[in-house]
Amino acid sequence: MNGEFIAFLILSFTAILGGILMLNLKKVVHMLLSVVLTFVSLAGIYVLLSAEFVAVVQILIYSGAVTIILAFGIMLTKHTARDERTSNRLRAALVGVGVLVFFFTVYGAIDNLFFGPGAEGLHVENTQQIGERIFAHYVIPFELVSIVLLVALMGAIVLARKEGEENK
Amino acid sequence: MDSLHIYQNSYTFIVVFMFVAILLPIVALSAGKLLRPHQPTKEKMTTYESGIEPFQDARVQFNVRYYLFALMFVIFDVETVFLYPWAVAYEQLGIFALIEMLIFIVVLFLGLVYAWKKGVLRWR
Repeated sequence: MNGEFIAFLILSFTAILGGILMLNLKKVVHMLLSVVLTFVSLAGIYVLLSAEFVAVVQILIYSGAVTIILAFGIMLTKHTARDERTSNRLRAALVGVGVLVFFFTVYGAIDNLFFGPGAEGLHVENTQQIGERIFAHYVIPFELVSIVLLVALMGAIVLARKEGEENK
Repeated sequence: MDSLHIYQNSYTFIVVFMFVAILLPIVALSAGKLLRPHQPTKEKMTTYESGIEPFQDARVQFNVRYYLFALMFVIFDVETVFLYPWAVAYEQLGIFALIEMLIFIVVLFLGLVYAWKKGVLRWR
């Protein structure tokens, strides 16, 4: 049991904990904060996988920008509402059985999975390696990303403006 | 393999800093709670002891316009993230990468122009 394994256990535990808290907390803002916990733990897992740049992007985009979007989404809605839940024994049991079946199916599928030898040297000049890959090998997907971002921006403007004019 | 261990071990510092950052407010606030006197009166418990009475809930419903600003921030944040690997690897890539990045930025700039023309940036 080396340090990497312990770090992986802690990080995956906090990631799952964040997800469970998000489902079980009552207030929407607390749910948002538990999602941030999951995002940050995933960034830690990226660090373990020698993907430093992706880890920083995870923190910058997900726990920074996407969280802001979610926070604004909450503020636009009636966020004082509390989650009222009904308990149903039969449904809980069925969901439990489903979770178990899913677990064993996935476990059986990935038990003897072999990915081939892992990539080495990813931690050396990580950002530069990513840059060379994107701008020398994956040029067309990279330019497509700009189109996707443009469509997202325009679509959001069209949708939000329509909503705003109805309010007037 | 050796440099991988150096890479992983250097993150021990970050873990130490993280623990300090988490423990510092917890220790400071709980130590303060143990030390300070606690004698609340009704007058002390008001939000502003010598100000106006607060009314309404602090978390009001926001205008939808704020959402557009947040969304544009996310879009251009993602654009900026692509600039970092480009800038770091620029020495190895040369002039072709510059043209690629120019196309990328121009396409997103069109989005900014569209938002501008539609009056999203103007506050009414």
